Amino acid sequence: MEIRITTPHILRFLEVFSWIIFIGLCIEAGGILFNTAYTLFINPQGAANFWEHANLEALYRFDRGHFAAMAIVMCIVAVLKAVMFYSIVLYFKNKKINFASPFHPALKNFITNLAYASFAIGIFSLSGARYSEWLTLQGTVVDDLHKLHIGGFDVWLFMSVILFVISQLVKRGIEIQTENELTI
Amino acid sequence: MPIIVNLDVMMARRKMSLNELSDKVGLTLSNLSILKTGKAKAVRFSTLEAICKVLDCQPGDILEFIPETSDEKEPA
Repeated sequence: MEIRITTPHILRFLEVFSWIIFIGLCIEAGGILFNTAYTLFINPQGAANFWEHANLEALYRFDRGHFAAMAIVMCIVAVLKAVMFYSIVLYFKNKKINFASPFHPALKNFITNLAYASFAIGIFSLSGARYSEWLTLQGTVVDDLHKLHIGGFDVWLFMSVILFVISQLVKRGIEIQTENELTI
Repeated sequence: MPIIVNLDVMMARRKMSLNELSDKVGLTLSNLSILKTGKAKAVRFSTLEAICKVLDCQPGDILEFIPETSDEKEPA
């Protein structure tokens, strides 16, 4: 028996996949936020195993303020990633994908918002990476960027550019579709 | 837009209702309404041909060009 994978199947799979990623990112954002507050205000030992093997103990010992700044960058990036996937699951949940007339202002806004979120993640990741380099030059040890979940800023920035271009194409698509719909 | 659709004038002259025209031309009421109210962006030749045939008129009887003054111009 032949199994046919149709577009609704792919969309359903993507919706489930987005939900899984969204939940994972929420846990990550919550964990980083909690650990930041826990390390700063309750127990400094939390820096040793900050989040998923990220060790910020040396940074905390070096300077509490620099630790706080790095943790805040991590928090912002984690929250932005969660917000980005929240907009994706919301788009799926509201069933805004319409193949009869696919170009809709909501689609343009959705892609533009993703582009902004991606750009913001890229900028914060980049600033985190540069900050980490600067801290290393000051004589402290900062963990690998991927362990700190702020790696791959170039990919995020590249993605934001691509999404901006796609949003402009969708904008033109909306104009053409409206014109087509108003052709009698 | 400087192109004015005089479909309602021709319909009144032929004493034809929108429903009747819709049936005879084969267009939906909503599409005819878009055309009549001047919201349409374009008209297909086939549609124009069908309307002219049913209303027994020329395209010029339905469409009219009135140049707009500079203060009437809408942004594109």
